[in-house]
Amino acid sequence: MYRYDTYDKAMLTDRSNEFRHQVARRLAGEITEDQFKPLRLMNGLYLQLHAYMLRIAIPYGTLSTRQLRRLAWVARTYDKGYGHFTTRTNLQLHWIKLRDAPDVMDALAEVDLHGIQTSGNCIRNVTADPYAGATADEVDDPRVWAEVIRQWSTVHPEFSYLPRKFKIAVTASAKDRTAARSYDIGLQLRRDREGQLSFEVMVGGGQGRTPYLAKTIREHLPADRLLSYLDAIIRVYNRKSRRDNIHKQRIKILVATLGQEEFARQVEAEWAKIEAGTVDLPDTELARIRGAFRPRAFETLASASKAFEAAKADLAFARFARHNVKPHKVAGYAIVDVSLKAPGETPGDCSSEQMEALADLADRHSFGEVRVNYTQNLVLPHVKLDDLPELYAGLKAVGLATSNIDLVSDIIACPGLDYCSLANARAIPVAQAIALRFADPERAETIGELKIKISGCINACGHHHLGNIGILGVDKKGEEFYQLSLGGSGDNDASLAEILGPAVHFSRTPEAVDALVDTYLSHRRDGERFLDTYRRIGLKPFKEAVYANAD
Amino acid sequence: MKVLTANSLATGEVVFWSRGRWAKAFADGERFADEAGAGTALAAAESQSTIVVAAYLIDVEEVDGHWVPVSYRERIRALGPSNTPQHGKQADGDADVAALVAATFAARSTGRVKLIKR
Repeated sequence: MYRYDTYDKAMLTDRSNEFRHQVARRLAGEITEDQFKPLRLMNGLYLQLHAYMLRIAIPYGTLSTRQLRRLAWVARTYDKGYGHFTTRTNLQLHWIKLRDAPDVMDALAEVDLHGIQTSGNCIRNVTADPYAGATADEVDDPRVWAEVIRQWSTVHPEFSYLPRKFKIAVTASAKDRTAARSYDIGLQLRRDREGQLSFEVMVGGGQGRTPYLAKTIREHLPADRLLSYLDAIIRVYNRKSRRDNIHKQRIKILVATLGQEEFARQVEAEWAKIEAGTVDLPDTELARIRGAFRPRAFETLASASKAFEAAKADLAFARFARHNVKPHKVAGYAIVDVSLKAPGETPGDCSSEQMEALADLADRHSFGEVRVNYTQNLVLPHVKLDDLPELYAGLKAVGLATSNIDLVSDIIACPGLDYCSLANARAIPVAQAIALRFADPERAETIGELKIKISGCINACGHHHLGNIGILGVDKKGEEFYQLSLGGSGDNDASLAEILGPAVHFSRTPEAVDALVDTYLSHRRDGERFLDTYRRIGLKPFKEAVYANAD
Repeated sequence: MKVLTANSLATGEVVFWSRGRWAKAFADGERFADEAGAGTALAAAESQSTIVVAAYLIDVEEVDGHWVPVSYRERIRALGPSNTPQHGKQADGDADVAALVAATFAARSTGRVKLIKR
């Protein structure tokens, strides 16, 4: 794993000290709230409904167990003993006190963590494939490139005041696990026949009020020219994007307005002006960063494990093996998804005790590494097949063995109106009610892959545009209603969900979902997922099932 | 009727104006029947910039003998998050909180529910 160098550490210490003084000056009345607000936001500290919320960046979703234990300690010491993992692979603490925030920042800085660039109109925390370094289908470790982008974008003077926030995702696998097409820039790394690495560069994706899937503006960008090309894209954006209307300031609007080809032409023209070698990373620096992501010291093992196979006699373990255990690139190892979606619990929430237990399990079974998935679940990337029964028992003891990855109860939900000052309606209780309705694991397994995503407002932090069933909370005359959409996907077959019809009341949303599921099951052909059936039969049968008077 | 609310600067906690002081419980908040009284309190709150942030007036109504905020958002601020009853002001669990919970989580309109079969 990458460890901060002296430059990173010095920057973080300076920032932490600076923030301590800013907070002291605010509390003493030496600066106003208007002066202070942008300063606290630059450190990820928001004021929400009940308290301050600190958003902590987890670069490319990779955590060491030392970092995870520190997060657990901070949550217990300064918050209410839990944290909330988000769809941006960040961790949010929802009950932070301003007077404690400087101590929290110091405690985080000691383990290379912070809230810098988790707010504001800058390049935000870069995300990457949560299976990086573990999956067989990747052509390189995408975290190498994500770390390059992290270093380049951190307090980048030219890109600190962009028209709007800017998000980048990197994947190096044929199977996209980052929802890359929903990003301002999605980068897909490939290796050609000669062994050269190149990026497919997708630009202008985004959700929110006006959702777009990113367009490919370059099929094969030589990997070693990545930074200069990113410079060119963001320069065009910085110069040409509107700044007069907050709803039209994301790069997706500029790409849609100019058109994919014209935007690409302008980027290429800008790129041509950048002198080779002035921005791109020298090979020696790339090699230094790559060194931090060297493959782990995997043992030479048989590809099958007797202990693993024997343990499947326990049906619950067998279910865990079917849904949460994924193939690893090294024989005898597996990738393990740890669900934070136990039915009835808050999606993405993890208690301090669970974080500490997971850190212990990761030290014992996964080279001390934990990943955060944008689906609000965690990943132990390198577990021996032989260790899976013991790991499962350890997870089960702390309520982390829910076997529902990509099933109906594995629901993405933003914090919604229970916490967020932007929300119009709650998202978490809807997720809880749906998950409880489908809590029977056998029924969930019969239904198969079904991705439900819930947002409490149009900003779409809960990815409702990408849900097989997307649910958007709206306020209708002071009451919570939910607009249902069908057919979204954030995967390789990315698509935006279509609105089903009029919004339904909070209390009726779970049964509406039930009606959608029943419709799918009654129309399903062999092997079809919910999404496949929807794409084949369209909106109408689903609409008829949910609305008695659909005309 | 109106109630004046804000968040504590140092802690972020939701607070309610109560005759020149800030109370933690919604039930202890002072209710203003007239615009002038509410406006004077708001002006006083805005001058306390080292005590509170984001002071504003909310509408309240009487439901079954208890005063509750009209808006859903303000009810959740006055209670705490609905997914964790052990967190926020609702954890105190007295009669005023119980009334607020009852008012908050009961559906008030039939809305579009008849559009749904079964």
